[in-house]
Amino acid sequence: MRKVDLCLSSEGTEVILATSSDEKHPPENIIDGNPETFWTTTGMFPQEFIICFHKRVRIERLVIQSCFVRTLQIEKSTSKEPDSFEQWIERDLVHTEGQLQNEEIMANDGHATYLRFIITSAFDHFASVYSISAEGIAVSNLS
Amino acid sequence: MAVRLFLCSVRTGDPAVGKTALAQIFRSDGAHFQKNYTLTTGVDLVVKTLPVPDTGDSVELFIFDSAGKELFSEMLDKLWESPNVLCLVYDVTNEQSFLNCSKWLEKARSQVPGTSLPAGVLVGNKTDLVSRRVVEAAQAQEWALGQGLECFETSVKEMENYEAPFQCLARQFHQLYREKLEVFHALA
Ligand SMILES: Nc1nc2c(ncn2[C@@H]2O[C@H](COP(=O)(O)OP(=O)(O)OP(=O)(O)O)[C@@H](O)[C@H]2O)c(=O)[nH]1
Repeated sequence: MRKVDLCLSSEGTEVILATSSDEKHPPENIIDGNPETFWTTTGMFPQEFIICFHKRVRIERLVIQSCFVRTLQIEKSTSKEPDSFEQWIERDLVHTEGQLQNEEIMANDGHATYLRFIITSAFDHFASVYSISAEGIAVSNLS
Repeated sequence: MAVRLFLCSVRTGDPAVGKTALAQIFRSDGAHFQKNYTLTTGVDLVVKTLPVPDTGDSVELFIFDSAGKELFSEMLDKLWESPNVLCLVYDVTNEQSFLNCSKWLEKARSQVPGTSLPAGVLVGNKTDLVSRRVVEAAQAQEWALGQGLECFETSVKEMENYEAPFQCLARQFHQLYREKLEVFHALA
């Protein structure tokens, strides 16, 4: 099966929830395939967003580009509806002045229909996420 | 509305300087949406939406009040973990309450991790007690300037100037947001 970036709106993926939104920097920017655009948080932490693949996927590798994110929790669900999330990955990120955070995660047990990203703390009042890519394969359709 | 920011602020200062009174009056003017929660720990939370002039944006202000001594309880330690702005209150008739502000500020700043210090305001309350005033406005102004705080005087009793410090907090926070957007754009 073909390996693709599963986190792209052009692949049918959607952000179905985000706790913050500035209409100039909406959460769709995370999955638009454009590294120049970003989603920004607008207040207190934690902050979260949920990505829906609209199909069953198996993720092998995640790359998250962000700024000022300190702790990140990732939960996943294999349900048809965005529920029954289980804890999957937790990371403490570092911040380097003048550079984007580029967090690469090799995933075990990457079966999912939804991913939920929770930014539990940040290095600043605000944090931003530029892109998330999930390399893997589309397993089957939801029906 | 372009963007709604959520600002969490903790009020500190000596006991009896009028912290609670200030929040009460701010809450009760009735002009905007407002709520009053009392958290189980006895920490009071005031929520209010403030429009930022000339921007179309608004700031939702969450102000946590605490009874003087319990300020750095476990609950508030938790709050300090996410960066805040600070509302530091003293009583213009009580010199010690003004001198203690530097102690409160230091304590607050030491609680904030990461790179940025919290912005904030300094509020001298009880200006209606003219004959008992011992802290002059200029003196407070000078200290505040050195600390990067904006400085206000209020009388909750006379309902004077009580909104200005909160509007200032909202404006400062909005400014921080604009500055961060610049950083985010530059990194893209
Ligand atoms: N004259 C005058 N009295 C005030 C003013 N503001 C508050 N007070 C009085 O000062 C006393 C203390 O006010 P509080 O708001 O309870 O003070 P606090 O800082 O919250 O005190 P703690 O909860 O003990 O930390 C009360 O008796 C108020 O009525 C003011 O502007 N002028």
